[in-house]
Amino acid sequence: MNRAGRNTQLIPKFAHSSELEFVRFLDFYRVEWRYESACFALDRDGQGRVTGSFTPDFYLPQFDLYVELTTMKQKLVTRKNQKVKKMWRLYPELNLKIFYGRDYRRLLFKFGII
Amino acid sequence: MDQPVIASDCKGASEVVEEVLFDEATIFKRIGELANQISSDYEGRDLIVIAVLKGGFIFASDLIRRLSLPVSIDFIAVSRYVPNSETVQVKIVKDLDMDIKGKEVLLIEDIVDTGLSLNYLITTLRDREPASIAICSLLDRSDLRLVNIPLNYVGFTVTDEFLIGYGLDYRENYRNLPFVATMNL
Repeated sequence: MNRAGRNTQLIPKFAHSSELEFVRFLDFYRVEWRYESACFALDRDGQGRVTGSFTPDFYLPQFDLYVELTTMKQKLVTRKNQKVKKMWRLYPELNLKIFYGRDYRRLLFKFGII
Repeated sequence: MDQPVIASDCKGASEVVEEVLFDEATIFKRIGELANQISSDYEGRDLIVIAVLKGGFIFASDLIRRLSLPVSIDFIAVSRYVPNSETVQVKIVKDLDMDIKGKEVLLIEDIVDTGLSLNYLITTLRDREPASIAICSLLDRSDLRLVNIPLNYVGFTVTDEFLIGYGLDYRENYRNLPFVATMNL
């Protein structure tokens, strides 16, 4: 983030268009963000090797907050919810916010986009 | 006196209202409770009430008339996020007329959800060194919160999707509805 509050990092290649829209939204409000900056181990095998992990979409350092955008179909959301529940169990100190499709639609409505 | 005509039937409001969440009587009652609380909290102190435009102006005008305190009123507006617009970053588009240095400030919002706009506003106003800043929002949609901003006074907590009325708009329409409703898109 430079003095004008703009993110100076290169725009990464996002997995979904909603992520790009979210980044534009954050930039507008001068909120610093990092994309997929941390990966958390969820499962390990007998030798301690990581066999399952979770990488939140964004980290907002100003608020010490991880954000996961989930605008996908309900079937996939259920799977992701299981991971998130595990995250909260294993890392209770972590500040993680999930934005579901419904949440995202509410924001879009507020700005008159839909 | 006849039942007040809902001015809101202009722009086809009756067709888009899905469900009235908070009717006029409910809002009136809750504003009275908030006004009593604020009047008690600020008793003996001078207060500047700042309505955040555009959404907060109806709530603010009804609230200040129920306060039993001497208050000054001012208005502020910040730019709104518009995708693909020329406005790259949030900024104040209508600034205060009053100097708030050393003053007790009460910000009036229609709704707080992510808190990003409010966070920008508070950060900006704190630089002007008021004695205090408190926040009063008619609606709190805290399940969308990204910034942990404590709200001092809240009318109602909501989780609903598309809200219009009593200051809340959809593409600049329906602010004049006398109630808060969900919209049938």
